[in-house]
Amino acid sequence: MSDAANPFAAFDPFMRFWTEFAGRCAAAGAPPPSPPADLLSQMRRAFFDALAQQADQFLRGEAFLAVMKQTMESSLAWQQTLNQFLQKGLSASQIPSRADADHVVVLLRGLEERLHERLDDLARRIERVESVSGLTQPAR
Amino acid sequence: MSTAPQSSTSPPAADPFFEPWQSFARKIAAMPKVLEIMQRVRVGATPAHIVARDDHVRLLQYESDGPPAGGAASGRTPLLFVFALVNRPYILDLRPEKSVVRHFLARGFNTYNMDWGVPTQGDRHLGLRDYVLRYLDNAVDHVRDAEGVDRVNLLGYCMGGTMTAIYAALRPEKVRNLILLTAPIDWSARDNLLSIWTDERVFNVDRMIEVWGNAPPQWLQASFLLLKPVQNLLEKYVNLWENMDNEKYLEDFFAMETWLNDNIPVAGEVFREFVKYLYQENRLVRGELRVGPHRVDLRQVTCPVLNLIAENDHLVPPNQSQSFCDRVGSVDRRTITFPAGHIGMAVGSKAHRDLWPTVVDWLVERSGGR
Repeated sequence: MSDAANPFAAFDPFMRFWTEFAGRCAAAGAPPPSPPADLLSQMRRAFFDALAQQADQFLRGEAFLAVMKQTMESSLAWQQTLNQFLQKGLSASQIPSRADADHVVVLLRGLEERLHERLDDLARRIERVESVSGLTQPAR
Repeated sequence: MSTAPQSSTSPPAADPFFEPWQSFARKIAAMPKVLEIMQRVRVGATPAHIVARDDHVRLLQYESDGPPAGGAASGRTPLLFVFALVNRPYILDLRPEKSVVRHFLARGFNTYNMDWGVPTQGDRHLGLRDYVLRYLDNAVDHVRDAEGVDRVNLLGYCMGGTMTAIYAALRPEKVRNLILLTAPIDWSARDNLLSIWTDERVFNVDRMIEVWGNAPPQWLQASFLLLKPVQNLLEKYVNLWENMDNEKYLEDFFAMETWLNDNIPVAGEVFREFVKYLYQENRLVRGELRVGPHRVDLRQVTCPVLNLIAENDHLVPPNQSQSFCDRVGSVDRRTITFPAGHIGMAVGSKAHRDLWPTVVDWLVERSGGR
């Protein structure tokens, strides 16, 4: 039966949960002729297990993933708009913004990277020279 | 007919009607005690001092409070713990009776821990290259110099395990033994929630890091809570209510809560690399991961390897760790799968009774003669 023909399709997860819960209770042997002292905790365990199983299925479902994606995109769009607005305000006031600081960091990292590459290159050349001349680093 | 007061020698039977009310009253009466425990609980059981700093990263050395069992301390290769970039590293030393660190100290290992610190917005560009080849490498060099050894033992936990595996592949000459604790290595199976949520069709990590800079701690915390919503948002508090008059339970509970809520941001670039290159593209086991100019080849790991897997891990399921020993070049390699969860491996009573003594024995056998 299609969802359109079945007006109660939305309640299916809840039906499955209660069926699962009742099944687990029955499997646990409840209700026995004389209930054990921990019957309540067994039932609670069964309830939580069934609920956790349903929650896990829901969190893997297409519906949840779509909502998660949409929420994330909206949140990022809002944050980006806010960032741009703040940046324009700071720029107009001639105050450095986060983007300016980021730009400086990127420049410094590029400089640092080039220096490291140069140092690595020098280290390799020294090693080559030492190996040719028979000089080796003292053993640790 | 004897009328001896039997009730004076045996405890009165619980009244089925009044007992629940008495229990309720006991819990209400325990409220001030709960608040007091919440305020006084301390985390980080073993004294430690900072032996090196590198930007915001600190290298901690733990202090042993007694003579080590099983030989002189000076005879063993030092051990460096490497924790994940998410949360703080004191989970390995949460409480005196639940301290992984103390197992190793007690057997004569000079023990260090990497505290990655809290990245600021200016650190958003820090990537795997910075964390593995700079901070971790500098820390290893510091330990080697301080202890006068060529190689050190490494123990990496979770994401820290992935980084130590990468490090051991890039700098094999500096690693004597490698222990991985619930470390994700292989993301080919995409059946766990984190893998599903980080799928590129759902999660655009490039855009997230472009806008937010770093991965915000609140967002990370919410994601971790949602992995087990019933347990984290419902069951945990029901259990707390039931144990309101149990001081030991409360101390453990609040110590754990302190750690769980002590979230820190993850530097944007390293987060992006982890999600994009590892979760989404599984580059590490495919031999395609590059850290700086170097390609990471796990076959370059040749030291003895111990891979610890948590059977009930919801963050790093066993199938993300199991194949590690098959992918390394080591001859001496062992995998232990233990019935615990991701955090239970570090703080569970069973793990401290049955697992860690075995792990320490394994390391002792391979750490003689420095």
